[in-house]
Order: sequence, then C-alpha cells, then structure tokens
Amino acid sequence: MAQQHGIIVLFDVENALRTRSLDGNTYWFDNMKFLGSAGVGTEQLVTIVPGTHFSDGSQATEQVLNWLPAVLGAIPPTVPRNYLAEQERADDRRTLRELASLDGEGGVSDADIKRLQRRVGKRARKSGGGRGLTESKLLDVTGRTTSDSGAYNYPAPVITDITGPAVAEKIMYPAQYGSPDMIYDGWYWAATVDTSRPGVYPYTMHVQLHELVERNDELVWESVDLTCGSSLKITNDPKRNGFTGAGLGVLPLPPVPAAG
Amino acid sequence: MKHRVSIVVMVDAVGALSDRTLHNGNLSLVDDSSAGSMHQGTPDLVTAVVPGQVIQWTPIHVDVQTPVEIESIEFLSGVTAPPPAGQTVPPHPVDSAPFPAPGAVPGTEGDAMGSGGYENHDLLVWEGIVPYDMTPGVPYRYRLSLKLHEGSNSVLHIDSPALLRV
Repeated sequence: MAQQHGIIVLFDVENALRTRSLDGNTYWFDNMKFLGSAGVGTEQLVTIVPGTHFSDGSQATEQVLNWLPAVLGAIPPTVPRNYLAEQERADDRRTLRELASLDGEGGVSDADIKRLQRRVGKRARKSGGGRGLTESKLLDVTGRTTSDSGAYNYPAPVITDITGPAVAEKIMYPAQYGSPDMIYDGWYWAATVDTSRPGVYPYTMHVQLHELVERNDELVWESVDLTCGSSLKITNDPKRNGFTGAGLGVLPLPPVPAAG
Repeated sequence: MKHRVSIVVMVDAVGALSDRTLHNGNLSLVDDSSAGSMHQGTPDLVTAVVPGQVIQWTPIHVDVQTPVEIESIEFLSGVTAPPPAGQTVPPHPVDSAPFPAPGAVPGTEGDAMGSGGYENHDLLVWEGIVPYDMTPGVPYRYRLSLKLHEGSNSVLHIDSPALLRV
C-alpha cells in the first residue's frame, strides 16, 4: 500500500525577513529518499512520486502528499501551540501574585517595581486587517517574557497556497484540510497526485511570515508574503503479479506441504 | 463459494523494526473467507480456501507514513532442499533471514523495480489461483516476508500462516 509522503519545509525566518526572499532560506525534506527523491535537505528537493496502473490503463495507486512547515530557531513544532499561551498566562499570574504580596508598610522598593514591570513584558498587536495572529505577549524560545527584540519566538509560517505547473497541469490537487492535530494550528496542506503522466513538474509554495515592527509606539506583527518552490518527479509502471512476474497464475504450492 | 478471498496484512512498521520481529502484536492477518478460517487477527492465520478461488494478499500500514511491502510469499515444502553451501538453516522461526525459506517453492518472482531504475513499492500484486491438486485438510504454510523501508534489517518474515483446502 502506498506510503503517504511527508514533506517538511524548514524556514530560516529571520534571514528570510531580512533579505525579503526565501532564496537560500528554506530546507526541504521528504520521506522518499529511499525511493529516489533527490536534493533532500536542500532547497532543490525533487520529490519522487511512484505511480502504478492496471493493465487496462487505469490508475492503480493514489499517492498522497502532506506538507508541514517548521521554523529554524523557534519552538519545535512538536510542542503544542497553546504552550506560549499557557506560559503567558502563568507569567501574568506570577506577576499579579508578587504584586499583591508587596508590602506597603515598609514601602515598596524601586527594584521590586522594576522587576515586575519587566515581567509584564511587551505585547504585540496584530496589524489592522491582518490575518491569523492574535494579540499576544512577546515570549522567547523558552517561553519566558522578553522585551528584547532579537530574542522573541517567531510565529510559525503559514502556507497560503500551492500553485505552479504541477497544479496548473492537474498533476496534483492540493488543498488545505482541517486537522485534529493542533501542532499545525488545526490545518494542513495535502494533495493527491495523478501519476498517469510521468515527468518532472515544479510547484510554488506561497508562504506568509510575520515580522515584528514598531509603529506609533506599538509593536505590530505584520505579514510578509513570500514564495519558494520544489518539484515532483512522477514515474509510472504497470502492476505485475508478485508470484509470476507477469499476469495471474496458479499459486506455487509444493507437492508436499511442510509439517506444521 | 466466493470467487476471491482477500488476506489483509496489517503491519505496525515502527513496532516491527524496533522489536525486530513481526510478533509482539506487530502484525495481524485477517481474511474474508466464508469457508471457516482460523486464528483471524494473528500471525497464525489459517485461511480456508477452495480450488479455483483467487487469493490476494494486501499489506496495510497502521501508520500511513511508514513503508510496508510484501517482499515475497513462499510456500514451505515438506521435502527440504539442502541449503546453499556456506549457509546454515536457522532454528525456526527466526526473523530477517536474507536467504530463501528452506524447502521453499521457487517462483519466477517479480521484483519491485520500476522504470528508470526507481523502486516502486506498489508495483507487485500478490495474488494467485488455488490449484485443484491441493491436498484437502492439510495446512500449506507459507513464509510471508515483509519489507519495511530499506537496509540490511528491513526484511522480516513469519512462517506461521497457512492456506487450508476445505
């Protein structure tokens, strides 16, 4: 039975935002190297998609692709997405508790106030009309409050579309699906492949990154839309019988079966 | 009589590779024969068959992103052929033997190589017709070898399943 393809796209978000390009800032991996995928780990990945057909020419195998984005230097995608929200809430609770325990009798020291002010952290808003991101505190990769603009955790890139020759020529039919897996925000991109036309077909992935900018004394997550690309290599062969190497035949039974 | 009997081979590829065995619940065989098969859901499935029926084996991976294919199905013979020189017959049952089953019936098996030198795990259809000269009431055990990904430890087998003419 056909194994589903997993294609992981690893983004260097920081460099991509600086250069405003994904060229040189993506790393592609799939689980098909053993069947002939080329360029695994680079940005020149060619994913092999082996197809088969029956003797009447009809498609015998349905191949499924799944794309999963990941970010270099961010919280790994295997950590649940609500981790940051939980950390933010826990941090707020801690701050409030310490605020309540500040004793007014002996006066409140400046140091205490400063420490708590730091803990309150900075909040980034989503830009007006922007999609996706909710207002949240800036946290670093360990989930701690940070006000250091270089240390915060980037939101995961969002795949917004998959286009290009492989789609236009109806080689694959990508779509975004709902998923119970909150690791990928409950959404993921997958495609089925028509393997009847062998060849190499490039495709373009449209990705939305998020950049933290300061505007009107406020921190705002602004979306930055970029594209990157990869290819599918389709092969196709007729199904054949495992026993005969050709068509259907009699099972190769021995004259005397082994004693059981 | 059903014209066709399906035997589904369900495999937990990760479990099998880390245990290095198809036992321990890593493999489950189920068929849809209506003639009284035994040990459904275990590696010891005995499929009740009738001559003329087409028997088809289909591998299914429990985890859809793991590769599972049938490497070979070899019926075990009561007349043991001597093993090739330099090889010893392992105590049975043993997993991951790279050489053919002792007394296995040689076939003209197809390999899983597709065009352009690319391996294709969906290429082979494992099906065959039950012959009329099959002895009734005697289980014909077969060695079911599965290939999970590639590499020297990728092929595992069991010798326990059988076909039984009723």
